[in-house]
Amino acid sequence: MREPLFRAVKQEGAGPVRQLMAYGTAVLLALAVGAALLAVQGVDPITFYKQMLTMGIPGSRYPWRAVENFVKLFVPLLIVSLALALAFKMRFWNIGGEGQFIMGAFWAGFAAMRLGERLPQPVMVLVMALCGALGGGLYGILAAALKVRFGTNETLLTLMLNYIALYFLQFFAETKAPWNFFLDPGSARPKFAKFPGSAQMILIPVGPFRLNLSLIAALVLCALIFVYLNYTKRGYEIAVVGDSPSTARYAGMKVGRIVIRTVFLSAALIGMAGAFHMSSAGVMSASPTNDVGWTGIVVAWLAKLDTMGILVVSLLITVLQFGCQTASAAYPSIDANFANLLQGVILFTVLAADLFTRFKIVVRGRKEAGK
Amino acid sequence: MEQRYAIEMRGICKSFGSVAANQGIDLEVRPGEILALLGENGSGKTTLMNMLSGIYKPDSGAIFVDGQEVSINSPEDAKKLGIGMVHQHFKLVDVFSAADNIWLGDEKAGGILKKDRYDIIGETAKTFGFDIDPRKKVYNMSVSEKQTLEIVKVLYYGAKIVILDEPTAVLTVQETSKLFDVLRRMKASGHAIIIITHKLNEVLEISDRVAILRKGEHICTVETASADEQQLTEHMVGRKVELDIQRPVVEKARPLLEIRDLTIRNDEGAAAIDGVSFYIRGGEILGVAGIAGCGQKELCEAIAGLRPIESGMMIHRGEDIVGLSPKAILEKGISMSFIPEDRLGMGLAPSMSITDNMLLKKYDQARGPFVDRKGGRAEAEQVIRDLEIVTPSTETPVRRLSGGNVQKVLLGREIKAGPNVIVTAYPVRGLDINSSYAVYDILNQQKKDGVGILFVGEDLDVLIGLCDKIMVLCHGKVMGVVHAHKTTKEELGLMMTGALDLTHKYEGKPAGYARDSRIGEVGMGDEEVEG
Repeated sequence: MREPLFRAVKQEGAGPVRQLMAYGTAVLLALAVGAALLAVQGVDPITFYKQMLTMGIPGSRYPWRAVENFVKLFVPLLIVSLALALAFKMRFWNIGGEGQFIMGAFWAGFAAMRLGERLPQPVMVLVMALCGALGGGLYGILAAALKVRFGTNETLLTLMLNYIALYFLQFFAETKAPWNFFLDPGSARPKFAKFPGSAQMILIPVGPFRLNLSLIAALVLCALIFVYLNYTKRGYEIAVVGDSPSTARYAGMKVGRIVIRTVFLSAALIGMAGAFHMSSAGVMSASPTNDVGWTGIVVAWLAKLDTMGILVVSLLITVLQFGCQTASAAYPSIDANFANLLQGVILFTVLAADLFTRFKIVVRGRKEAGK
Repeated sequence: MEQRYAIEMRGICKSFGSVAANQGIDLEVRPGEILALLGENGSGKTTLMNMLSGIYKPDSGAIFVDGQEVSINSPEDAKKLGIGMVHQHFKLVDVFSAADNIWLGDEKAGGILKKDRYDIIGETAKTFGFDIDPRKKVYNMSVSEKQTLEIVKVLYYGAKIVILDEPTAVLTVQETSKLFDVLRRMKASGHAIIIITHKLNEVLEISDRVAILRKGEHICTVETASADEQQLTEHMVGRKVELDIQRPVVEKARPLLEIRDLTIRNDEGAAAIDGVSFYIRGGEILGVAGIAGCGQKELCEAIAGLRPIESGMMIHRGEDIVGLSPKAILEKGISMSFIPEDRLGMGLAPSMSITDNMLLKKYDQARGPFVDRKGGRAEAEQVIRDLEIVTPSTETPVRRLSGGNVQKVLLGREIKAGPNVIVTAYPVRGLDINSSYAVYDILNQQKKDGVGILFVGEDLDVLIGLCDKIMVLCHGKVMGVVHAHKTTKEELGLMMTGALDLTHKYEGKPAGYARDSRIGEVGMGDEEVEG
């Protein structure tokens, strides 16, 4: 029997430098694939990528406005990815980010429309965030409680709840009726009304730039979750339950309670992201999520559920999405979907790179290194 | 016997990263011979066999089958060369029938499941002298049946060289002797057999020659007929080892844990423990003997508060512990460690570090919202030092350690917590001699410190050597409690199968009731013994 030309040999403990190099190569490879696709369509890849990476900020008449829009995309993705990682660490496959985000957005919008006229802005923004967190969190608890009580499959449940949330919101978006206070009474066709001024996200002027308060909130959350997962008793419980529920029970942990608490937290953060998104936008939307519930899953896994990794990856993915959006404005043949395509290719190559950091390839006849 | 070897390995080397698992190993087996491969945990036995079965590739060295040099690149290649391996962890599809598990890998069978597969497989099994039901689903099978199925599978594919990795680790005495009959039949029909095991008496009973590995190196190969346990152990460990289990005599204290008329149901709702009464004193090891699955697991779980009981009393130092949460029972100083068949299932979080595993039961005791990792690390370091655990660092995930070290981590943590009652089931399961003795020493030390120990074991020699008294279970009922120094293996064996009932041997008091029982003096109690 002949030896095959290549074979994989497992190697342990690839250093961080090697790992970073592997990921860097993977991203470059993905960009190269993208470049080829761009070239086929007659777009100069170098100009396109340059525009994508600079996100159209230099040379723009309102460069700070571009940064503000960037933040509006970045904040929800960061919070949702962090929140999903929280549940994933416990091996609770929450793929209901979309639905929880919508529920958060809905209840934040509810609060804005009902109380917006009466409350001052700082209170109103806080109330919206809390309503969003509660709305998203309770929606998440539904799947968690059923799993704990009856052993249902959380993947299926959270997935289905996404669609329920989506159509629930669409019902309010499209039903023109006197009771439907979400809609603009001045419009003959169903159309969401703008929020009252006090329900708009607080913007702190820093020179010409208006700093979105939700960015600060997101960064603080990031730090808090890092500490929560790595240093607190509750974070420890999550790790044990994720690793082995029977061991957790043996150690005297109340597994059901931990699952419910963690999923509530995860879903509440996602709901809060929805609320932030609503007040930043200033108006409800029938499809508010921009797919963060799905993209967040990709981010969480690319970052291997590491909190700091999520910060970096979500930043990069937002650059990709926002950059593609702005860059494609100049080319009729390219649209924002190109970002999704590129994202897919990057995910693929990074996963492949992962394989190369864990295994090395040995060519037939050559001795393995390190002998 | 002809001199050509069925299999020959020359100068085999294999390393994983910086760890050399095998260094220049030579090994040969003749047809119609049983070779035992002996070595401590982590000495490279399984690695070596995995190279024969195509799971790993050697870094250097050559393998010959029937005198021909071969390169085995996959289990598929091994199968074609007539090498079959029965792994320690069975490779079976639980929801498939016995026949389908075999059929699954048969390329000639084509894409359609034919009805006659049951007959064909049933016939094959019969020609090799096995009795299996080809239609039975794997999840309905006992461990022994699964193992038989693995062997039939290997033989069905025409293996002439059969490797068994610790086949007896999960079998009872009776099942083991059945397995050995099978191996002898295979040997008679000209198969070459390599068997990995830790149990020296089995090595001496079944093998023709013994190859001994130590730290990845081939120490020697000896003829079994000229070897004895002492000599094999010395080769294996590299120094003289005392093979007698100590049984220190300790002043006995009043009963720590008293169990009265306990009935527990198993997951299917049948009575797993049926009206059982016994008690453990401080400074005593009470052994529990019984055929696998006769209620040991349920008993351990009930004492630890992990399984509700049907009826009866569990009294710890005069206090009722029935219905308490696992946490409350832990806080009373009752430690339970159960080593399941997969060795990792309960008691440890496999992906977490040794430090984190040290904290498992007491992470909540630290003040404030944070986990005390510093304390955990210090404890991990101490346990690693005290029990000679081999690990790169305290932050290594437990699943990366070898089996013996995993068990030491678990036991080390339990003892570190300073319990007054230790319930331990199969603490030496799959451990080599050296580690096993380390565990016995740990338990004896605890006994000297006045701890009451319930030791659920499989090896009757060990139970007789280590324990003060032995309780025998049969189908969830107590067959009697005997003094270890007065009993024999035969007597225990009869009791385990239910043929001998000694529950009414001692007149004057009901069986399993302590004379100086603390039941009834609720809320008093702690003055004389402190764990």
